[in-house]
Amino acid sequence: MREYGTVTAVDGIDLSLARGEFLTIFGPNGAGKTSLLALLAGALRPNCGQVWLRGETLDFGEVEWRHRIGVLSHQGFLYGHLSAEENLRFYGQLFGLSDLDDVVNHKLQHLGLQDRAGSLVRDLSHGMKQRLALARALLHDPDIVLLDEPYTGLDPSAAIVLQGVLSDLKDGQRTIVMVTHNLTEGLALATTAAIMNRGRFVWQGKRAEIEGDFGQFYYGVIEGEE
Amino acid sequence: MRNYLKQIRTILWKDLLVEFRTRERLIAMGAFVVLVAILFNYATDWARVSPEDIASGLVWMTIMFAGLLGVGRTFHLEAEDGAFQGILLSPVPKDAIFIAKALANFVFLYIVALLVVGVFIFFFGLEVGGSFGMLTLVIALGVLAFVALGTLFTAVSTGTRMGDTLLPVLIFPLLAPVVIYGTGATSQFLAGRPVTEAEGSIRMLAAFALTAFFLGSWLFRFVVED
Amino acid sequence: MSTKKILLAGTMLAMIGLVWLGVVYWMSFFWVSTEVTQGIAQRIFYVHVPAAWTSFLAFGLAALFSGMYLWLRDERLDRAAVSAAEGGMVFATIMLTTGPLWGKIAWGTYWTWEPRLTLTLLLWFIFLGYFLVRSSTENPEKGKRHAAVVAIVGALDIPFIHLSVIWFRSLHPAPVVIKPEGPTLPGDMLTTLLMSLGAFTVLFLGLFLLRYSLENLRSELDTRSRHASV
Repeated sequence: MREYGTVTAVDGIDLSLARGEFLTIFGPNGAGKTSLLALLAGALRPNCGQVWLRGETLDFGEVEWRHRIGVLSHQGFLYGHLSAEENLRFYGQLFGLSDLDDVVNHKLQHLGLQDRAGSLVRDLSHGMKQRLALARALLHDPDIVLLDEPYTGLDPSAAIVLQGVLSDLKDGQRTIVMVTHNLTEGLALATTAAIMNRGRFVWQGKRAEIEGDFGQFYYGVIEGEE
Repeated sequence: MRNYLKQIRTILWKDLLVEFRTRERLIAMGAFVVLVAILFNYATDWARVSPEDIASGLVWMTIMFAGLLGVGRTFHLEAEDGAFQGILLSPVPKDAIFIAKALANFVFLYIVALLVVGVFIFFFGLEVGGSFGMLTLVIALGVLAFVALGTLFTAVSTGTRMGDTLLPVLIFPLLAPVVIYGTGATSQFLAGRPVTEAEGSIRMLAAFALTAFFLGSWLFRFVVED
Repeated sequence: MSTKKILLAGTMLAMIGLVWLGVVYWMSFFWVSTEVTQGIAQRIFYVHVPAAWTSFLAFGLAALFSGMYLWLRDERLDRAAVSAAEGGMVFATIMLTTGPLWGKIAWGTYWTWEPRLTLTLLLWFIFLGYFLVRSSTENPEKGKRHAAVVAIVGALDIPFIHLSVIWFRSLHPAPVVIKPEGPTLPGDMLTTLLMSLGAFTVLFLGLFLLRYSLENLRSELDTRSRHASV
């Protein structure tokens, strides 16, 4: 559970995720989706409750488990005055990557950024920046990937790149949680889905259980709550 | 431990590199220092006071105000694209982040503080003489104490509605010992008294700077936690 | 202990403190003998010194509770810290107003850089920062944590400020200052001072408990109205 002063953002959610699972959480603005993601990322200290990772509770003071979590949000976490390569090298060093040169080159190539490696991020186009942000989030090859509205503000080409990268990530070895209010893109890769409202999961199920028009179902669930 | 130092170096180097490219903070602080000295010239009746009599106080107050100007922008660079969130989500201990940010501030402010001394020598013919080495040491200790408290409380004030205007209210009362011992030692040097007389002040400054630095690296985690 | 009991204890202590303070006032105006060199103005000393002592006690408690709050994250500790800090501000303000009033008559000047006076003034500003941080941080929980950091740094800074302002004085001797304390204090003056110290301490503890139970009630109200609105 997480409270902000008098507002309870996340309340009584019991969630367990298996390796290989891709969970998409839908919900209206202010439902607590981002707070839930921040709790999972260990960026927010819960008022009560715990986050377990492979049989161990997340300890706030520890940092080791952060090696295994990658976060991509609609903000890029990039420095405008550093080049694309310098940004990746910076984060790579913070994560203590040993084969930094290889990893950085490989990521730049993989996302079609090798020609712009030396350009300052502020000079890159919007789409390029988003690809770089994606490279940054996945640089340390995390086995848990948390995505906060990743499609927001993406141009079509970057959205296709993101879609491709996400389906590559869905290799059965990782756990992926995505938060979005875009129904089509959210459902495309999900193995499980949940609908969140007012800090609670109001519906949770397998992708296969969703039949017919998910949009109508979604609005039905949210309106039933109101 | 090696990783810890490497992470500190990475963040510190990034700050220095970005500052080297933009030069925003150094130019602002440097211009401030020279302009203040020009105004001091007209605010003081040099026929009645000699620079040695009041220089120590003016030097330290100029350093304090210039420091306020520079330290207040510690986290602006990171706020641009959520980059600070990126650092917090990486496996870097919070104390390492603090140490790196404070050291970067130290480099900037120390350069500016030496400029202050230079400006007073240049404009007002201040005689520093043989005590120049000791003077730079005293200034280094004072600046270290300043950036330790400044970095910690900038992180506090950036999160408030009052922003940077709150910073002097928070750090000036705490920095009273720095001004007292700093000006005390400086005026003894400028009066040409033996270094041994200032030994007590230098010791107190060193003790204060170290205490402030350890306090900052311990308490920073409570400030940046979401 | 329930809020109700704390409220009761606070009211009792505050009442005792007020009555006791009345006795102290009577003593300092009518019972104690007049100090020879400073005359009648010296009697303000029975308010000034206990106020100083109480504000130091209060700020110390505020820092202690703040540290425990960061450690244990119990809301009640934060409420205790803010209650103590408010008390500290009140008594520090009393100290800072009575000091110059006395100084004007005794030494002919409102302000002297007397170390304890200076220290209290700086402390007053440190805790002004404490309240500004609390009230101007968007996220109230963050505000509490940040304010706690201010209180802790402030408390640990006190020894340095104390030593430095004393050292400054030794460097720049001020005009004649009569040290009011010391073993030379005649018996009846000492009695009055000790009585006053007791009255101020009890009064502070009473006000502290009242303020604390008020905070408790306020948060209870918050919780209830939140549940009612859901």
